[in-house]
Amino acid sequence: MSTRRAAILGGNRIPFARSNGPYSHASNQDMLTATIDGLVARFGLQGERVGEVAAGAVLKHSRDFNLTRESVLGSRLSPYTPAYDVQQACGTGLETAILVANKIALGQIESAVAGGVDTTSDAPIAVNEGLREVLLDVNRAKTVGGRLKALSRLRPQQIVPSIPANSEPRTGMSMGEHQAITTLEWGISRKDQDELAAASHQHLAAAYDRGFFDDLVTPFLGLTRDQNLRPDSTVEKLATLPPVFGRHLAGDAATMTAGNSTPLTDGASTVLLASDEWAAEHKLPVLAHLVDAETAAVDYVHGDRKADGLLMAPVYALPRLLARNKLSLQDFDLYEIHEAFASTVLCTLAAWEDAAFCRQYLGLDDALGSIDRTKLNVNGSSLAAGHPFAATGGRILASLAKQLHENGGGRGLISICAAGGQGVVAILEV
Amino acid sequence: MPDRYLDLVNSPLGSAVASRVGLPRPAVLRRYQAGDPLLPGPLLLGSTSGAAPAELVDLLKSVGADVRDAQTDDDRWGALVLDATEIRTPSDLAGLRTFFAGRLRQLLPSGRVLVLGRAPDGADIATDASRQALDGVVRSIAKELQRGATANLLLVDEPAGTGTSVESALRFFLSGKSAYVDGQPVRLGSGEAPAPADWDHPLAGKTALVTGAARGIGAAIAGVLARDGASVIVADLAQAGEGLAKVANRLGGTTLHLDVASPDAPERLLAHLAAHTEGLDILIHNAGITRDKLLANMKPDQWDSVIAVNLESQLRINDALLGSRQLRDQARVVCLSSTTGLSGNRGQTNYAATKAGVIGLVRSAAAAFASHGDSTINAVAPGFIDTEMTAKMPLATREVARRLSSLQQAGLPVDVAEAVAWLSSPGAGGVNGQVLRVCGQNLVGA
Amino acid sequence: MRTLSSPPSLGPLYARAALTARLHRGDTLPDSVYAVADQRIDRERLAAYQRVCGFRVADILPPTYLHVLAFPLSVALMVDTAFPVPLVGLVHVANSITVARPVRSDELVSFTVRAADLRPHAAGRQLDLIAEATVDGATVWTGRSTYLRRGKPAGPARERTSPAERAEPGGAVSYVRVPEDIGRRYAAVSGDRNPIHLHALTARAFGFPKAIAHGMWLKARTLASLEGRLPNALTVDVAFKTPVLLPSAVAIAAQRSGAGWELDVRNARSGKPHLTGTVA
Repeated sequence: MSTRRAAILGGNRIPFARSNGPYSHASNQDMLTATIDGLVARFGLQGERVGEVAAGAVLKHSRDFNLTRESVLGSRLSPYTPAYDVQQACGTGLETAILVANKIALGQIESAVAGGVDTTSDAPIAVNEGLREVLLDVNRAKTVGGRLKALSRLRPQQIVPSIPANSEPRTGMSMGEHQAITTLEWGISRKDQDELAAASHQHLAAAYDRGFFDDLVTPFLGLTRDQNLRPDSTVEKLATLPPVFGRHLAGDAATMTAGNSTPLTDGASTVLLASDEWAAEHKLPVLAHLVDAETAAVDYVHGDRKADGLLMAPVYALPRLLARNKLSLQDFDLYEIHEAFASTVLCTLAAWEDAAFCRQYLGLDDALGSIDRTKLNVNGSSLAAGHPFAATGGRILASLAKQLHENGGGRGLISICAAGGQGVVAILEV
Repeated sequence: MPDRYLDLVNSPLGSAVASRVGLPRPAVLRRYQAGDPLLPGPLLLGSTSGAAPAELVDLLKSVGADVRDAQTDDDRWGALVLDATEIRTPSDLAGLRTFFAGRLRQLLPSGRVLVLGRAPDGADIATDASRQALDGVVRSIAKELQRGATANLLLVDEPAGTGTSVESALRFFLSGKSAYVDGQPVRLGSGEAPAPADWDHPLAGKTALVTGAARGIGAAIAGVLARDGASVIVADLAQAGEGLAKVANRLGGTTLHLDVASPDAPERLLAHLAAHTEGLDILIHNAGITRDKLLANMKPDQWDSVIAVNLESQLRINDALLGSRQLRDQARVVCLSSTTGLSGNRGQTNYAATKAGVIGLVRSAAAAFASHGDSTINAVAPGFIDTEMTAKMPLATREVARRLSSLQQAGLPVDVAEAVAWLSSPGAGGVNGQVLRVCGQNLVGA
Repeated sequence: MRTLSSPPSLGPLYARAALTARLHRGDTLPDSVYAVADQRIDRERLAAYQRVCGFRVADILPPTYLHVLAFPLSVALMVDTAFPVPLVGLVHVANSITVARPVRSDELVSFTVRAADLRPHAAGRQLDLIAEATVDGATVWTGRSTYLRRGKPAGPARERTSPAERAEPGGAVSYVRVPEDIGRRYAAVSGDRNPIHLHALTARAFGFPKAIAHGMWLKARTLASLEGRLPNALTVDVAFKTPVLLPSAVAIAAQRSGAGWELDVRNARSGKPHLTGTVA
């Protein structure tokens, strides 16, 4: 069977808002619908039956079991457009694009929307586990007596709701605490982290100022720019912030602050993909092609503290992707490494530069080497824009595709780490 | 902003009260709905030179009018149309009195008076004086008419009933599309004005771009252009993108985030057109801002920003388009002016400068556009239109402003949009370099 | 051999234990073996146990589950007046479980329990209760629980070997919150209603500042954190160091050691050791 390359035609996202900010009353479905509608408006897709819409959210209400399809039904897309939900933590957004791109490549569909959304403001709150079990038993009981018996197990403390913890279920540690250990193991300095964070803000601000996001972002609920963006960020200002993760670590080993970590954020993003033929029929220019992708995972539960850091999986995915595409790490014009934390980016780069690590853990003969840092996250990334988990992939994908198109060609690399010790990497080419 | 006064005086009780105490009684205007008859009743056609030309009779019939001649004994008219193209002397003007006297009262609500005349051409002094006299007559009839009826003057070059743009003009002025156009002369010149294949969708196959389209008049223009069959690109500032997306989705268009005043706006516009279209047929310069301040207190930025957005942007984008491959032949450009540009307004020196400047722009650019494959450029000057902007005015000021026109009410954004859409249509090719007021014959700046 | 038709009920046994405490004396263990045959496994009770201990709800029994089913026999043996030490005041200091093969919930399991190896210890005396589970005559599971009866030092310390103590665990660590009600919840699914686990008030009566978690819950929870990483046949050998005062948070460190694991469970804040052990 012959395959073809899936084209990225553009994207749309809403500005990312800080948790409990302007979007505090917007649900995932509200945001995803608005974001799809913005995409529809940008590309004139009103009433269009798109081949497939794939999206997802990391924090999801049980009522949102069919989040993407419900959003499609509420949007201006044809109601005959099928949709499904995907969840791969922070990899969701990029994974949805990979899934639909593969279908386009196989000729199963001609066009697709990939996306993701997350709210940390309108997060699901579950009833207390004890209360839940009682209620389920009441529901299961067939007789009045049985129901009363089940109800008699109710206790006042069961009324306290259970709020989802932002931690890995198997380790009980937050992502930040995990990364604090990885940061320490890889010896990443506070200064390097703050420099990366300042650059992210400066790059994102510059991109806004030159109108780069004019055809990537549609305002929502009065917010016109990413709320977390602080254009005047400097290393000096960031250096004054106290560490928030890894505080139990000895001495000055705690280097991760609110400034060099992403805040909790609300937002949504979508990307329009299609075959080249569909794009031509619709008179829509192709920005870039999604060439190939690879996912990987690490054993952060029982593995090595350094090599199996929770957010280190992209490190493992990349060499497999490079080998399959006969490329080296230096064969890219732009790099987009998701800034879950500044130190995530720096640990990733450090691992690729570490010959011993590359030999022992990646099975390579030598280090993958270093990259030209001027090609990294040129329009800012999650530290400045914020990181609504499932929405980050779409943000990066559309921005990178557009930047490659503006450059008149070239190849870009995307690397996104995800909870559960997972990672997704992908190659874009014009 | 609903006009509660208008609603009140059109209620049974309110109407009786208003009539007793002599309050203004604005009518509910007849506005275009697809499928409606052209007129609310029969059309009486007359001529100052005996019988109206057969071509005019046929044309009126073909556009859907129930045409009667002066012999018809009827007392309820949807329209009174008078061919006055053959007037040569002041004594010929008596034909107007003969035709209209007695019959103006027989005009149905939202009826139409149309006079076809000729523009003075300098060939003969008495003829020019008599032709110019029509202007005064029509404007005065407009003020005399009641119940939403309007009077307008079409100046033609050819014998009445022939010539370019007459058909599209008749369709516009007789129908509800011209609801808020009153007391206005329009010159129908000689540009290419092909009839569309489908008069219900005169813009089918055309690509249009409307700036400032996220709300108000711009959104209404985009809506009417889309209704008439155009593929519409709605443009506005990125900050207005949320509303803009809704507009685009409502009418099936596409969005373009563009700050028309930014230095690279023309370049970005051309790039977008090149990438996404086969070229532009219709451009509506609607984006505009106000920074009202008495001139005595005005800051440089308040002055400069209004000039940049409302006038300079139009000049730069027009220049770029004319020099590019992105503007197709027989293109239509419509620039939004304002009656403020004609009358001036206290506290709006900057705004009035740009709106008057736009009039100068279209008059001067007409030739350049004509030589670009018979394209046209015109201005539409809205009067008092109910929008979000006017909703913010103090109540008393707004109420007074609303009644200050012959139609005794504010217009709606759609009234401006209908005029823009007509000027954007292929059939309006004979109209070039002109200013069409959509003001209900506002008393200021007449 | 005392073969019971069904597992004894723990409530009356505890009552008897309290009443007969003074009657237990001597230096020799009884030879008696308590047995029940062909016990059916209650799936609902199993599921409740799996939930409380952090295991998946599944048909394969967790390595620690047969300990729960054998426990009433152990108690019955220990409250027998022939048993030389009273049940009240016995401290569970170590537990070793060997799973010969995974046991399914639809199998009929027979149990025997006996006491062995009463021995002097630096802090008093120690003895083992050895439980064995068979299916169709084949041993599928054995458990050895070591109890300490505090008293005057009766011999040299004879600690089981335990992993070297570390200030900071070297491998990956999992943090687990231990809620205040875990003792009551584990009591409900295991039947082990020792008052020191149930409530701070009842625990205080026995000299503990707060209720403490069951050692076997901690062991089970530690094994649950190795979900998917345990061999089918295994021996889990743990020593209980200091009790987990409720509520609490523990840090479970598991480090690969050959084909098995070295376990180290500490208080998440103080670093005080709660459990050490090995999986082999």
